[in-house]
Order: sequence, then structure tokens, then C-alpha cells
Amino acid sequence: MGAATETFYEVIRRQGITRRSFIKFCSLTATSLGLGSMGASQIAQALESKPRVPVIWMHGLECTCCSESFIRSAHPLVKDVVLSMISLDYDDTLMAAAGHQAEAILEETRKKHKGQYVLAVEGNPPLNEDGMFCIDGGRPFVEKLKEMAEDAMAVVAWGSCASWGCVQAAKPNPTQATPIDKVIRNKPVIKVPGCPPIAEVMTGVITYIITFGKLPELDRQGRPKMFYSQRIHDKCYRRPHFDAGQFVEQWDDDAARKGFCLYKMGCKGPTTYNACSTVRWNGGVSFPIQSGHGCIGCSEDGFWDKGSFYERLTTIQQFGIEANADKIGATVAGAVGVAIAAHAAVTTVRNLSRRKEVPDSNGGDKSNGKSA
Amino acid sequence: MSRRLIIGPFNRVEGDLELRLDIAEGAVASAEVSSPLYRGFEQMLLGRPALDGLALVPRICGICSVSQSLAAVAALRAVDGIAAAPNGVIAANLVHAAENVADHLTHFYLFFMPDFARASYAARPWHDEIAARFKAMQGSALAQMLPARARLLQIMGLIAGKWPHSLAFQPGGTTRAIDLGDRVQLLAIIADLRVFLETTLLGDTLDNVLALDSADALNAWRQGRSSDFARFLAIADDLKLDQLGRIALPLLSSGGYQALDAPLFAAGVFDPASASARAFDPSLITEDVARAWMRDTALVPASAETLPDADKSAGYSWCKAPRLDGQPAEVGALARQAVDGQPLIRDLLQRAGPSVATRVIARLIETARLAITMQHWAMQLDLRQPFLDHTPRCLTGSGVGFAEAARGTLGHFIELGDGRIRRYQIIAPTTWNFSPRDRLGQAGPLEQALVGTVVGDDGAQSVAVQHIVRSFDPCMVCAAH
Repeated sequence: MGAATETFYEVIRRQGITRRSFIKFCSLTATSLGLGSMGASQIAQALESKPRVPVIWMHGLECTCCSESFIRSAHPLVKDVVLSMISLDYDDTLMAAAGHQAEAILEETRKKHKGQYVLAVEGNPPLNEDGMFCIDGGRPFVEKLKEMAEDAMAVVAWGSCASWGCVQAAKPNPTQATPIDKVIRNKPVIKVPGCPPIAEVMTGVITYIITFGKLPELDRQGRPKMFYSQRIHDKCYRRPHFDAGQFVEQWDDDAARKGFCLYKMGCKGPTTYNACSTVRWNGGVSFPIQSGHGCIGCSEDGFWDKGSFYERLTTIQQFGIEANADKIGATVAGAVGVAIAAHAAVTTVRNLSRRKEVPDSNGGDKSNGKSA
Repeated sequence: MSRRLIIGPFNRVEGDLELRLDIAEGAVASAEVSSPLYRGFEQMLLGRPALDGLALVPRICGICSVSQSLAAVAALRAVDGIAAAPNGVIAANLVHAAENVADHLTHFYLFFMPDFARASYAARPWHDEIAARFKAMQGSALAQMLPARARLLQIMGLIAGKWPHSLAFQPGGTTRAIDLGDRVQLLAIIADLRVFLETTLLGDTLDNVLALDSADALNAWRQGRSSDFARFLAIADDLKLDQLGRIALPLLSSGGYQALDAPLFAAGVFDPASASARAFDPSLITEDVARAWMRDTALVPASAETLPDADKSAGYSWCKAPRLDGQPAEVGALARQAVDGQPLIRDLLQRAGPSVATRVIARLIETARLAITMQHWAMQLDLRQPFLDHTPRCLTGSGVGFAEAARGTLGHFIELGDGRIRRYQIIAPTTWNFSPRDRLGQAGPLEQALVGTVVGDDGAQSVAVQHIVRSFDPCMVCAAH
């Protein structure tokens, strides 16, 4: 265990990370947090002078996809650095100690850093059968979670499980999997949804908290604004095709190869708030829409029970939207889908009518495909 | 003197795990393996549109999500018997191999080797070097392995968009067509993987490592070599890991990586006791719930249900007990390589049978084989041809789909009606390996492998128990799902 007074900078230097790498890490993080160049020096200064904020990472009912995402963040140093912040305390999946020894570390950290540590939770507690569906160390996870949250400064809810319930809460929710903020009421809970969340979003959020000792600005749903204030659709590279009314009708058809919009294939990009279309995945290589598959909205509350991921919108023939809307029923998702469908249709109709107004204009310079 | 020992929770294990060991005379007399985590995917899937399973099942597991997707896709293909576009099959293989190689690397570097850095080995001559290299979250190997792994997983980005929980896999193939630029990138990523394997993990060319065809050749090869594989082999010799965690259950493989004609790794069952192989017959698979917290149901997965019964007094795990022709079976890289007749693995089995050492060696040998095959696959893609077959699918009827996850055989048993899911049963690799006892009292593979392990005075701290458990690379969230 590191001494409570040790700074984060001391910790990483002790682990052989160079000053140069440290500075690079600070500027990269500042950029991803949207803090600019002043932010980099702020982060550097904070990490050099303030005592490190301890982080405890717990796993409830989950699939470990959040950890998987986290250890793959793009900048190799980000995860090294963040892992070394966490390594000093507790993580079920990655840590060295085992069994009761690990439990003892958990208890010790809790006492020693009372009111100072950040509790990061992956997964959620199932409440049915007195918590029997997730037993951790001989007792229900929900008890351990409440206990650890009691002395935490704040709770980070990693991923859609911790934030919303996710697929394990899908109907009929056999175990009554319950999001963290429904169980922990007396602590700030910061939601980092996504199944899993993007690695850089995770490292960005945790670095912000550790650096500034406070939570980043949150939206009304408890998500950090810096990463969840825009819809996938707003920054999607296929957006021009949506505006131009150019849609994929079948997987890997000609339109798909041309990279047209996937809205008709059921894409939920227009209703999903996340950073996938900007930060992207697996080291900034791609994201689902780039793989030719629509977004399923995995960072949105209830995405798992909003009707079919595919059929609802793939059955739309041309612009027969209203007929299909009846089939969908009056679910919220359906309603939103219709609104967007209407938006798409209007956009396209406008484009078509403009084209008619300017028949065969060779440059097409008067019609830029934009609609109000 | 006999006493009972409860070990758990385990960390550096995917999901939660608890062991109950009866210790007599300092050795394990009997073991019960309990999976204390259950979510109920089989219940949630019922009634949903058939293809929606493709968005839900990968979320069973964050580390083998592609395997889950591909087993589901294989089951959907089996329902109407329509094959996928060849390009789609190869592209899926590339992603699947990348996931499995990444899993093998994670297992070796993050989950398995850190146990040798423990203080209980401080007296061993190799301890200081191993601790510096593999200590959990601090060892020097991590700084090499994590970036190499992240680079490899860019393949996920190229073909599948995002990982874990990719969406690009459909019954007809994959949703994204690879272009020439993508292929160049794929080849570059695979080349980087190869460099990492050859310089860091193996310390020799892949071809040279795969040419090793016997325990003697392997032993000669490792002398004086300073790669991570060689370091492991030295430890394995010193600690006699080939004598640890031994069982002689049938080794089962459903056939790894569907190629256009035959799978890359053959399907079959290899019996280590008699060194004989036989065909794999999926209709011989049953799942027993006598000791699981589950309501009684049909033995055959195609007509079984999964309904929890938390109050069942005979139960001790959320995991069911899969059996092949009534017998427990071991699955994983060792089973795949044994069934496929890999010479080194067959020779090692001949000498000591399935053990901690052979399981780890089989994973690394498989990794080397996959790296070479991935290069072939990337070249094999015919970029002018479709990646997805558009033949309409009826989505009514039943089907079974298998995929070989890093940890072994994964089966999805589905029944569809009117385009909706009527029945869904999943048997995951760790369900096989960490199965509880069945109605006949037959213990599961890990339960058998633990028996006889000397724990001495270490009790719950016994590092031998840790090695055996981790040699199976358990994925507990898959096991009970």
C-alpha cells in the first residue's frame, strides 16, 4: 500500500514512467477532456502536488466488458498510468492478491481512506432472492456495495449495467438487476454508460476525478457532459448521406459499400448520446456504424427492451413510415423512431423537390442537401 | 485430520467463483466448484425477435463476445440450412481468432503468470526475475503485452466496428465489406502480432516453435532461451506443473474456425487415457441440474429450460452440469489441439495427460498457429465478392450452433417460431470445465482436477489450487450466464 500522502506523480515515477511520458499523458487527457493547453498544466500540477485519490473497483453482476474496454485504451500510457493509480488499492479482476487477503485489502482501504476514495462499480446488484444471484465472498454483492459506498467520496457507475441495468435487466429481469443509483441514494453517482463505455471516456472521467478531486459537470441523467452531450448522429461521418436521403437497404448492398446512412437498418444513432462517432473504438479505428451495422443505442437507458434492434426500421419500404408506425406500437422508442423517420423523409423530400426545381444542374451547387 | 476450506472470491478470474475443498492429510480429498453469479439470459431471450438475440447474446460475456455472436449466428444458419457468404465466414474467422489470441495473451500475462510472482515462491531461483516481469499490474511484461494486445484488437475495429459486443455478425455473413486499404491494415496488424509473438512471447520464429514435435524437442529448445514462454517452461519443470491438476476426461472440440470446407481445427473427441480419437456427436450432449440451483428440466438442451430455484437444497452452483454421452468432458485449447492431432500436444498428453502445464502450452501453441493462419485468411478474402448472403431466411425451426471460444466449446441450442425465439439454451466452455456434480455424483473436470492437490498448511492461500483453477482460464459469467 502506498502512503496516503504520496502523490500520483511519485507513484508513476516509482514505476519507471518517464517525465516526458507523464507530460504527454497530461496533454492527451486535457485534450480528451476538452480542457485545452491550460488544462494540461493544471493536470500536471495537480498530479504532482496533491495526494493521490484512491480508487476501488468492484464488480457486481456483469460481464467484465467494461474492464476489457478499459485495459485497451488507445494511448498505451493512459491505461498504464491509470492502472497504476488503481493498482494500489483494489480491483477484482486484475489485482495480485487473492481471496480473503484481497478482502482484507478492501477493508483496510476503506478505513484508511474514509470519505476520500472513489468507488468505481462495474455491473450492478441483483435484488431478487435476497441478492443470491450474485454472491461475492460469501455474501450478497449488494451488501458489500452499500458498505463500500458508505465511506466513498463518490461512486462511478461504469457502463450501462451500473448506470441503467443493461441487458441483464431485460424483461423479465429474472434477477431484478438494479442500477447503482437506485441502491446508493446518499452519494453522488456519476454514470458512464455504454456497453461497454469507450476506453478513452473511462480514462478521461477517472483522470478528471483523480486530478481535480471533484466530479466533472453532469447532465440531468448523471452523465459527464463532456462525453455525453452529443448524439452519435450529430457527428456521424455518414450524416451527409442521411441528409441526402441515401440509405442502405440491405447489409452489404451497393449502398452499404458506398457507406450510405444506416438509419433504415435500425440505426439508433439519432437518439443515442455518446462519443462513439468522435472518439471511436479500439484505438480510434472504428465504431459500429463504420462496420456497416447501425448503432443499437447501448448507452441509452432501456435500449434492451425498446423493440427489435432490426425489424422495426428495416421493414420501412421507401417512405411508408406511417403504416409501419402502427405496427411498432406506442413505445417511446417507436415514437422517437417515427419522429426521426419523419425527419429523414422530410429531408429527402426537400432534396428531391429541390432537384426538381434545379433539373440536372451539373454542379448541383444550389442544393447542398442541407435542410433546416 | 479432515477440514473444510472455502476459497473465494477469486480475483484475476472473469466473474465470481467459489471453491469448497475438503482437506484430509494436507491434500484435497473432494472439491465443490460453485458459480455464484446468475443473470438469466435464457429467460430474457424468450419471445424476442430472432435476430435480436444477436445484440443480446454477446453481452453474456465481455471477453468472449465474438464467440457468443458466432455461436448464435451458427445456430441461426442451422435453422434454415443456408450458408453464409464465404468472405463473411473468413472475415468472422479473423475477428474470432483475434479475440481468442487476445484472450490467450490476457490469460498468460494478466491472469496466470502473476501467481509465480507471489512471496511464497521467494526462495526459488527464478523468483526475482519472474516477479519483476509478471507481478500483477506492475511487471515489465505488461508494458509490452498490453499495447500489443490493443494493437491486435484493432482488427475488431476494422471488421466489427467495436469490441466487446460487436454487431457485424449476421447469419448471411458480416455487415462490412473489406476493401483493399483495410486488407493492407489487417496484414500490418497481423504482422505486428507476429513480431510480438516471435520476439517477446516465444523468442523464436513461429515456424520453429511449431516444428517442435515432442516433449524432448521442447525441452531442448527452451534451454538458454529468454522468452516468456521459455520462462514458463523453466518454472513448469521446476514446480512439476505437468503433475498438477491432472485428469483424464475426454477432450472435446466442436471444430475451431469454420473454413469453407472443413474447420481449421478438427472437430472430435480425444480420449487421453487410450490416446484415441472419435467423432463428435452433438446429440450426445445433455445438461444435468441435479446439483444446480435450477428447476428440474429435460436433459437434452434442445428441449430443456433454464429456470432458477434459489432454494434448492441439493444445489451448490448456478452452473448446470453438461455431459457428453453421460461423461464430463474437458474443453479448451488443449482439447482443440489434441483433437486436431498437433504433434507436440499429443506427445505431452502421452507422457502426463491433461495438466496445468499442457493446458498453458496448448494455448501458446494455438496462438502461434492462429497468427500464421490469420495471414492466410486476410489474403484469402476476395474483395470483389459479397461479404453477406442475401437469401431470405425463414427463421422458423430449431438449430444448434457451435463456436470454439478461447476457453473451449460453446453451443447455442435454439428454437424459433414466427421469427421469434421460443427456446434458447446455452452451454459455455466454463459450464463444461467448472460443472458441478450430476445426478450420478460424477464430479466436473475442475472438481476432479483439484482432488489430490497438496495444500499442506497453506490452506486457502495454497498457490497450487490457484494454478489449477487458472489453468482452465475460467470465464464464470459465461458458465452460468
